[in-house]
Amino acid sequence: MATYRRSGISRRAVVEGAAATAIGILAAPMISRAQAKPIKIGMPTILSGRVAQLGTSSRNAVMLEVDKVNATGGLAGRPIEMVIRDSKGQPQEAARVARELINSDGCELLIDAEASSGAFAVHEVARDLKILCLHTNSETSSLTADPKQRIPNAFRVCRQGIHDSIVGGAYSANVANAKKLTKWMTCSPDYAYGRDTTAQFVEYLKHFKSDVEVVSEAWPKLFQPDYTEVLTKILQTKPQALYSCLWGGDLTSFIEQGNIYALFTQTETFAVNMADYTALTVVKNLPKGIHSGNRYIKTFPKTAQNASWADAYRAKYNEYPTNWVWQNATAVNFLSAAARKANSADGTKLADALRGLTIDSPFGSNGKLTLRADDQTLIDYAVGWGTTIPTEPYVPDVTPGDWRQIIELETEWKKKNNYT
Amino acid sequence: MDLASLVSCFGSSACLVTQVTSGLIIGMLLFLVAAGLTLIFGVLKVINFTHGAFYMLGAYFAFSIFKATDSYVIAMFGAAVATAVVGLIFERLFMSRVYGRNMLMQLLVCYGFILIFDDVVKIIWGAEFRSMGMPAIFQVPPLFIAGGVVPPFYLFLVSMTTVIGVTLWLVIERTRFGKIVRAAAHNPSMLSVLGVNTGVLYGLVFGLGGLLAGFAGALAAPVRSLTPGMGFSILIESFIVTVIGGMGSIVGAFIGSLLIGLIRTFGTVGFPLFTDGLMYLFMVMVLIVRPTGLFGKEIA
Amino acid sequence: MRPSLRNDLVIGAIAIVVLVLLPLVSPSKALIDFVIRAASLGLFATSLNLLIGYGGMVSFGHGLFFGLGAYSFGLLMQRTGMPIPVAFGLTILNCMMAALVIGAICVRLKEIYFAFLTLAFQMFLYSLIILWVPLTGGDQGLRGGIPRPPFFGIDLADQKQLYVTSGVLLVAGLILMRHIVESPFGYTLRMIRDNAMRAAFLGINVFRIRLIAFVLAGIFGGIGGIIMSLFVSGAYPELAYWTLSGEGVFIIMLGGISTFLGPLVGTAILLLLNDTVTRFTEYYGLVLGSIILLFALGLRRGLTDVLVDSWHNSRAAQAATERS
Repeated sequence: MATYRRSGISRRAVVEGAAATAIGILAAPMISRAQAKPIKIGMPTILSGRVAQLGTSSRNAVMLEVDKVNATGGLAGRPIEMVIRDSKGQPQEAARVARELINSDGCELLIDAEASSGAFAVHEVARDLKILCLHTNSETSSLTADPKQRIPNAFRVCRQGIHDSIVGGAYSANVANAKKLTKWMTCSPDYAYGRDTTAQFVEYLKHFKSDVEVVSEAWPKLFQPDYTEVLTKILQTKPQALYSCLWGGDLTSFIEQGNIYALFTQTETFAVNMADYTALTVVKNLPKGIHSGNRYIKTFPKTAQNASWADAYRAKYNEYPTNWVWQNATAVNFLSAAARKANSADGTKLADALRGLTIDSPFGSNGKLTLRADDQTLIDYAVGWGTTIPTEPYVPDVTPGDWRQIIELETEWKKKNNYT
Repeated sequence: MDLASLVSCFGSSACLVTQVTSGLIIGMLLFLVAAGLTLIFGVLKVINFTHGAFYMLGAYFAFSIFKATDSYVIAMFGAAVATAVVGLIFERLFMSRVYGRNMLMQLLVCYGFILIFDDVVKIIWGAEFRSMGMPAIFQVPPLFIAGGVVPPFYLFLVSMTTVIGVTLWLVIERTRFGKIVRAAAHNPSMLSVLGVNTGVLYGLVFGLGGLLAGFAGALAAPVRSLTPGMGFSILIESFIVTVIGGMGSIVGAFIGSLLIGLIRTFGTVGFPLFTDGLMYLFMVMVLIVRPTGLFGKEIA
Repeated sequence: MRPSLRNDLVIGAIAIVVLVLLPLVSPSKALIDFVIRAASLGLFATSLNLLIGYGGMVSFGHGLFFGLGAYSFGLLMQRTGMPIPVAFGLTILNCMMAALVIGAICVRLKEIYFAFLTLAFQMFLYSLIILWVPLTGGDQGLRGGIPRPPFFGIDLADQKQLYVTSGVLLVAGLILMRHIVESPFGYTLRMIRDNAMRAAFLGINVFRIRLIAFVLAGIFGGIGGIIMSLFVSGAYPELAYWTLSGEGVFIIMLGGISTFLGPLVGTAILLLLNDTVTRFTEYYGLVLGSIILLFALGLRRGLTDVLVDSWHNSRAAQAATERS
């Protein structure tokens, strides 16, 4: 059961703030009172409905990191006070909540933990009100890639569709070459994420292996409970390989239903969202050998920092970390580093400091994460593919993506779409 | 749009068998839910929007009972009975207060309960989705019938729903209880004059609806992930089924469910991106041609 | 001029003056957002009540016009950058045409079948919005904001000016709808609601009156959608989803069906509830569900119905004591 943690933090933050103020006044009369005032950060997210887990896990991650940041003084001496609110997954509510957080609750910046369409709505609020906004859960590339969408005070601190597609295409082409898989089929949820991600994956798969043919496509509805008609279509098509970007409960249903059709013994399956604990720990009969991209896996990067971070999260919240978790934690870490660099918690100064900033992180491909300056989006995060086994650690070996290759192809993709 | 695949499917017996069986699988489960919905409407003249929530409760009850007892049979019947009890209590304590009122008030009560049930489920079982898993007895390779693929579990599901459907028909048509229920659908005041406790009867009808929905939830649980709010999509579909088939007609619900099942399966082949739209289009067409549904009677 | 119309205009003018002065008294920005959303939903709910309360036609698909208004306006502004008043007019025209076509098919049907068919049409439009990605942006909606070029010196990109404009639109819309309802047309509509057969025997073209009511409701519903699209600076498929139609029905039930302003009261109740409850808990469903049950099972009427009834009761009690 999710707990509402807001008042706990604010009390502590106020006490710490008061202590800091007292010491500041005694030790250095020149320090202005304003620096010890808590800084409120608004976080619109989804805490109810189908995707409630997105919000609850994002909230957990943020609180975990905020505690650490506040223990070392907060942002430029100002303790963070999070104000987290539910938008129920509706974009017009997300817009209203974002506005309310800024206008009525005194929040000075936003950590936007909305899913894709909500993120676009909050993006417009950030554009209108000109406040710093970090998007942590929207993977739609156009949010930062498209110059028409981009605004100087909004950053994306999470993975991106185009990166995932490039890595997925490269890995899958290797497997396809090794196992001679030329007849493919796709089965993805029928909405923007599903369509765009699938199209991009196929594009890059063909880029790396040109003799691939996608003979058929299935487009179940998002949150559709029953995949019978889709599964029978796949079985009839008899593809050698199947790609799917179904996720969460949908992927779980699909796997359970596919199992009783013995789908996975007949077809090499590439399910990009399989390697996420939300699916791995819920599916009761996880087939062996499903290829998957990492969403968040404790074993990738295979470092002690990553493993201990995952353990700490699990110990505190009694649940496995989700993909949303590392992204939100990273947002707080970036804010903390930017505040140190700019020696200020002012939104504009933070934005300037964030552009191009590199931090140490257990989630980086080489121990570091960077917010690229030109389009203000995250790069160098750990991204790779591996195959599943039915028990812990679920994905023992992950082949990392090559960031040089990713950036090179991403640049081409941007040129093709006139995004430069 | 992929009309070539659709046409070639009609030509191939393997494809026809597979798709028709898929349509049956989807349709039969839908029928269980829609039958309860249409029964409640036929007798009580009330559209039970909470029916999707009953289905959800059935699935969650089955999940918990299966986890506790490791027996799918107990889970299935236990879930059905538990949901029937919920239906009975819901009717006696709440719905009975809004009979004869504005349909919108009834709708409001149901909607209030949907919201409450969804959150209660979230509080008890958590917001994350859950999976019951396939009972060990069904973890076997699929069968091949006339070239088409049929998993044994689905065979069980179709047989089970057929048994339940036939039992329901027999109860309604051949037993004294069924006679009373049919009489209540025609003339409730006459019935109470004849000494039948209509209040208890109504409760039992709602309980019966709950029983059917609970069975449906328990039958769906091994293959579908459970999440608060999962009743919604099946409510909409069973709604469309009862509207197409005619409110109050169990035969109509049966035919309607099969039609929807077939539209989905063949629709996915020919119109992969527009399958939902196809369903609504069909509903619009039926309503324009026969506003009371295929087997419905004029609402007095 | 009808004396009641003159009263309405006076009340409307006072309301607008109060709205303009309110931000000076209370600097709360939340109030501004609240009024804009209340104007949007209030127009939508009141237009739906034209059908439900005054016409006896329960529509489950009225959200179609809200969504159509939001998308038409948003698309026109994004694609053409035309002056806002022109886009406004074209959107109203669009809603009117859609209402004409859909209404002609639907209003023939009785009661619950009318409800289902309107719902089916709305879901059909929704499917179209989701499917037609190049035009509507699919499930992500219209992104990138909509341009709001100033017109007649009014700049709708400024939230305060949007607030005043929405308030004016709300008041004007309400006065117009009240005028419709109190006119001979409105009384004919009520006669049809009460006994369609008798009205037909009196020579009234029931179909035509119902269709006109449907079209009028569609227009005002669309205006509600335009205001919402300005508020979120875009349009989302959620604005055309059936839950919005459901919300409209609940607003009417919560606010009360017996007075003209009932739906507006219901809008205020729902918005206040939404805003306060989500501040404190993520179990919004539990709270809203319980409150709905309170109204449906406890009060059994909307808020204004309760007020009107108790006023009548106190008058009757007073008359009784005077007599005795």
